[in-house]
Amino acid sequence: MRLSRRSLIAAGAALPFLRIPARAATTPGKLVFGLSSYPPNLFPWANAGTAAETAKLAMFRGLLGYDAEGKLRGELAESWERDPKDGASVFHLRQAQFHNGDPVTSADVAYTVEQVAAAQSTAYLRTEMQGIAKIETPDPRTVRFVTKQPVATFPLLAASSFLPICAKGSADGNAPGIGAGPFVPTAQERGVAIEFKAFDKYYRPGLPKLKALRMVAYQDENLRVAALQTGDVDLIEYVPWQSMSTIEQDAKLALQTTNGPFMYLVFNGKAAPFGDARVRNAIAYAIRREEIVKAAFFGRGAPMEGIPIPDTSPFYDAERAHHWGHDPAKAKALLNQAGLANGFSAKLLATAQYGMHKDTATVVQQHLAEIGIAVELVLPDWATRVNLGNRGQYEFAVGGTSADSNDPDGLAPVLAGNLTPSYVRSYGIEVPRLDQLLAAGRAEFDEAKRRAIYEEMQDVALAEAPFVGLAWRSQGYAMSRRVQGFHNLPGALSFYSGTTFEDTDIV
Amino acid sequence: MAWLLHRVVVAILLVWVVASIVFLAIRLVPGDPATLLLSQGGMAPDPGAVAALRAQLGLDQPVWLQYLSVLKAALHGNLGASLEDGTPVVSAILQRLPRTLELIGAAALIAILAALPAGLAAATRRGGGFDRIASLLAAIALAIPVFVAGTLMVLVFAQWLRWVPAGGYVPLAQDPLRHLRLLAMPALTIALGLSAVTFRMTRAAALEVAQKDYIRMARAKGVAPPRILLHHVLRNALMPVVTVLGLQLGSLLGGTVLVEYVFNWPGLSGLLVDAVNARDYPEVEGIVLVISVLFVALNLLMDILYAVLDPRVRQR
Amino acid sequence: MSRVAWIPAGSVALLALLALAAPLLPLPNPVAIDVAHRLAGISALHPLGQDEYGRDELSRLVCGTRVSLAVAVIATGIACALGVLLGLVGGFLGRFAELATVRSMDVVLCFPPLLLALLVVTLIGPGASALIPVLALLYLPGFVRVVYAGVLSVRAQDYVEAMRALGARRARIMFLTVLPNVGGPVLVQFSLAAASAMVLESGLSFLGLGVVPPSPSLGLMIGEARSTMAQAPMLLLWPCLALGLAILALNALCDALRDAFDPQGRASPGRGWRALRAALPGGAPAPGPVLEVRELTLQIGSAAAHPVRGVSLTVAPGETLAVIGESGSGKSLTGLAAMALLPGGIEVDGGAVFLEGREMLRLDEPALRRLRGGRIAMVFQDPLSSLNPVHRIGAQISEALRAHQLLTRRAAWRKSVGLLRRVGIPDPERRARAFPHELSGGMRQRVMIAIAIANDPVLLIADEPTTALDATVQAQILELLAELRKERRIALVFITHNLPVVAEIADRVTVMYAGEVVEDGPAAEVFAAPLHPYTAALLASAPRDDGTSPVGIPGMVPMLHNRPPGCSFAPRCSRRAPSCEVATPPLNTLRPDRHTRCLRWRELA
Repeated sequence: MRLSRRSLIAAGAALPFLRIPARAATTPGKLVFGLSSYPPNLFPWANAGTAAETAKLAMFRGLLGYDAEGKLRGELAESWERDPKDGASVFHLRQAQFHNGDPVTSADVAYTVEQVAAAQSTAYLRTEMQGIAKIETPDPRTVRFVTKQPVATFPLLAASSFLPICAKGSADGNAPGIGAGPFVPTAQERGVAIEFKAFDKYYRPGLPKLKALRMVAYQDENLRVAALQTGDVDLIEYVPWQSMSTIEQDAKLALQTTNGPFMYLVFNGKAAPFGDARVRNAIAYAIRREEIVKAAFFGRGAPMEGIPIPDTSPFYDAERAHHWGHDPAKAKALLNQAGLANGFSAKLLATAQYGMHKDTATVVQQHLAEIGIAVELVLPDWATRVNLGNRGQYEFAVGGTSADSNDPDGLAPVLAGNLTPSYVRSYGIEVPRLDQLLAAGRAEFDEAKRRAIYEEMQDVALAEAPFVGLAWRSQGYAMSRRVQGFHNLPGALSFYSGTTFEDTDIV
Repeated sequence: MAWLLHRVVVAILLVWVVASIVFLAIRLVPGDPATLLLSQGGMAPDPGAVAALRAQLGLDQPVWLQYLSVLKAALHGNLGASLEDGTPVVSAILQRLPRTLELIGAAALIAILAALPAGLAAATRRGGGFDRIASLLAAIALAIPVFVAGTLMVLVFAQWLRWVPAGGYVPLAQDPLRHLRLLAMPALTIALGLSAVTFRMTRAAALEVAQKDYIRMARAKGVAPPRILLHHVLRNALMPVVTVLGLQLGSLLGGTVLVEYVFNWPGLSGLLVDAVNARDYPEVEGIVLVISVLFVALNLLMDILYAVLDPRVRQR
Repeated sequence: MSRVAWIPAGSVALLALLALAAPLLPLPNPVAIDVAHRLAGISALHPLGQDEYGRDELSRLVCGTRVSLAVAVIATGIACALGVLLGLVGGFLGRFAELATVRSMDVVLCFPPLLLALLVVTLIGPGASALIPVLALLYLPGFVRVVYAGVLSVRAQDYVEAMRALGARRARIMFLTVLPNVGGPVLVQFSLAAASAMVLESGLSFLGLGVVPPSPSLGLMIGEARSTMAQAPMLLLWPCLALGLAILALNALCDALRDAFDPQGRASPGRGWRALRAALPGGAPAPGPVLEVRELTLQIGSAAAHPVRGVSLTVAPGETLAVIGESGSGKSLTGLAAMALLPGGIEVDGGAVFLEGREMLRLDEPALRRLRGGRIAMVFQDPLSSLNPVHRIGAQISEALRAHQLLTRRAAWRKSVGLLRRVGIPDPERRARAFPHELSGGMRQRVMIAIAIANDPVLLIADEPTTALDATVQAQILELLAELRKERRIALVFITHNLPVVAEIADRVTVMYAGEVVEDGPAAEVFAAPLHPYTAALLASAPRDDGTSPVGIPGMVPMLHNRPPGCSFAPRCSRRAPSCEVATPPLNTLRPDRHTRCLRWRELA
């Protein structure tokens, strides 16, 4: 007898007198948001994970940002342009206030960027901000950035959630920083919840619509979904894939998904035979990506047979996006050419701590066995896996991440070979042409030329395969139907969806 | 009294040894906290930033130097600050510890109230219907892993019956009723195993005591059965039961992880696991220190309690 | 081992067999994935369906059980071996070793188990090879403690000292003496630890710290099944059931082992025989005697062993009856029967006991309670074990008083002090607040007597009251008893194996052998002219005043199930004749108060 959840719920419904709603009295205008983990810290410019970003997007704003469709728009800067005279990026600030009432001035912007670029800074965009030669503040409402090299993607940096503008001096030492976002943090219970109230002097009139916001951490995904279903929370992030169809079928709930993050393989070029591009390509052709999507993500995602450029991007190319279709014959042929006709054995590094990594690794192991590669799984905890990855102490590994932005330059961290070793990219694989193209694309302002550059970049990347794309995974936000105005930003910007809290309302 | 002093000194030494071992062990474990902190969210950390963070957090000093400074600070009551966000470890622990204690205390209360009388009842009618059923239930309860029980409880009581909210926490002062309802399920889950152990121990101890000559003597005096049961059997059976219960509660101090995870109860164990995963050295050391101190103190309390219960011990 | 223990032992053996045979069974590959058919239901190829990767659930279950069981058993085995070694070392090799062993185990115990697991696994990396050392470490202290305690208890024994004095090497002593002693508890600890290890392994695997996928383990399967709980709840159920059953079997085995090594005897419900015997009347009591035991026959359980057969005796008011016999004669049981305090397992197979005309064995429990400690009281042999060690002796006397008289606590306490004074305990106010272990043997016995006389009983049964005391104290106690008897007109039944003791105080004597009365009569007569060879032999074997050495009785009391067909004493009797061995001789009544069971009594007279 198959117990279906429905039959059991029906059984439960037959006892109406027992069903007492467990929800606490709701405060009108207050949204309860279910985080997937508690932010380790809320330092404005450090990368402390997606939960921290969501919280910071409620209380900070940068020069630029994104709208609900993922298009660039002005935030604290109402307009921006590039000055052709010296190539400087110029931003014109609007009238806005920080939470402490002080006006937002160019001095605060300069302070922010200087702090981020400081030698001892631990900010995520430190290297990028160190590429700024000069910051000029001709008047309190104008900021000019002169970069050492031309940076076409500078507006993307200005829109990054890792560059929120803080009031001058407010983020010194470990101070939390005072922002200009739509919500003011009022209380924090470490490990449990963060409380916000609406900022009445927010620069967008009429916003935010909510009066208060409470973010509660629910580490266990089953509990997160259960809390949404019982009404304990109104909106959750990181919807587990197995629950997505249940939520879609629930009339009281709504689901918004986008394919933003992705799973991929990286290699240690110094560990034979992964230094050989043919071997890497053979692996890329041997995998049935739909099975990964099915096994790890319950079908919620899409195969990625190339480089992760979303199909909505102007740089998307259909043919290149389907380069690595399942072709075991081709894979075997490549292995033959590499002199490994009888296959070989290798260790695949992933982690046991995250189901999607483990599941991906399991499927890859099976598929590679079919072309004669005997794979042994190495599954330490996440911290150890990161450590091993950073040191290149692996043979090949499963990775899962999201790009910094929907622009191809956002893929540089996972593709580049000339950066310091990191677990998010391959180790010991040098593809100089690829690095050249990435740098060129970054500096090129002309749209058409950029497209050509990134086309060639894709070709090189696909040929050398320092990165083997496996699958997109669906990033979902689920909410009660009473929640309106919250949007899951498309593609890689999904983790920045917290920026739409200002439009969110609960009826 | 000399006995007590001796025990206290040994206890302090023990705690120091444990803390030192943990200090070393957590640094031997691969994984650098600075890298981890900056690697959240799957983004690559900048090595310069990593180096800067390490210096900032004091991790670039030699291990023995770190040990000395930690020791010195600890003796002054300062357990350092979390590497993640600078919160003083002491305040983080003080915030979470009462919640774990509350959970354990509630579970212990349920276990004692339910299992002690049940164990006595089963012992008085050994082999009878109640004994068999209760023993079977206890055996089953011991065989169910705590996270399975917890998951099923969430399913049944929170999702289907909607009797209690689906996990989480509100402070007692803020909303007592909701607080108690949220406490109920995790406490019950822990109480399952605890009750089973208490039941079996009480039953076994009561059976053993019932064979003793002084029970026969009490019967020979014509004492009424309720009094025999409580005043003689229970009173003497309490000693091994108290010992076992103390051991169980002690091990629960660091072991409520699974329950706290499944029910989203923000207790000390969860903090510990997160700290280990993040390689947050000061927090791990601080929590282990506190847990060890509590454990040792609990043992000491058990010894004193045992001396109170059993006058023969007092002579030594 | 009892019959019931075979069930858990059998199930565990079956589990072990299944686990061992797993690779040989015709099961599909447990790690072969088939994503196209993930979460499929029951089918011909897959009797329990397929999991979230399409792997066969049944084979995963079997393999998972094998892995979980193997991990648990291996870890426990290592812990056992190391623990026994450490316990022996700590117990035998002197103070430093003892300190190191015990204290290091304390350090292990200070660690929260999960943290220990976390640290070790992150150091070594996950997988069974990390899990086994962690589990072994966690369960080590338990074994060390058990063995260490065993060593301590054995070390104190005299024969160990003797072995040492004879020059036996320490190792030899260790193995010969300690190991058999702790074998039982270690086995129990083993099954306990193995069961606990299975649970812990499942928890660790659930957190991702245990067995590495894709090899199955029950804990891992449960963790994985949680995420698909909504779509395929059965996937969660199977490993839970398997885990639960395995642990149940292990726990049951542990209990069975415990019972086997520490038998407590099966207690009969106790009510059955009463209902049965109620149908058979005991007849009318004879008027006059305080206590009349008529043809009492006791039976052990349902077996054919009768520790007491057809025993009759009477005690007149104020009279002292000595019941004499060796151990195994059934004298103590007769005394207990008089109080209706027979231990569990002993049932009445015939006869009756009358106390002041009331048939004791047919009364209900509340009525008996009114009599016990009130009209009839008992003084037991070992006062240390008969007094509750955790209550003050004053309280224990007060308890006896308040069970039968309506007294306030203070009044009862005062009376208790008075009683203590009466039985000759100096400084009774202070002594009343003492605990039993703080008194000497003689004083404790006086306390027992105080309890016994607290409610002015008409009959006192003293079961070997002076056997545990040395000679001078013995005399004092006897004197006390004699005084109390005279003062309060208490009838006394004095049960003993020691003839000289009763020579002074007994009015009448009943001699018992192998569960039967072999002779009775007035004390002076029986001592002067015994009419049964056994009595004569007893008299001859008692130490004498005139210095001649006593003569022992050859042979031993026959076992209950090994009774000779004729007279029970015949094998040891110097006067036996063929007629003695034919049938059990009847009790000859020479006078109403003089009996003997010997066929040849005339020759003795």
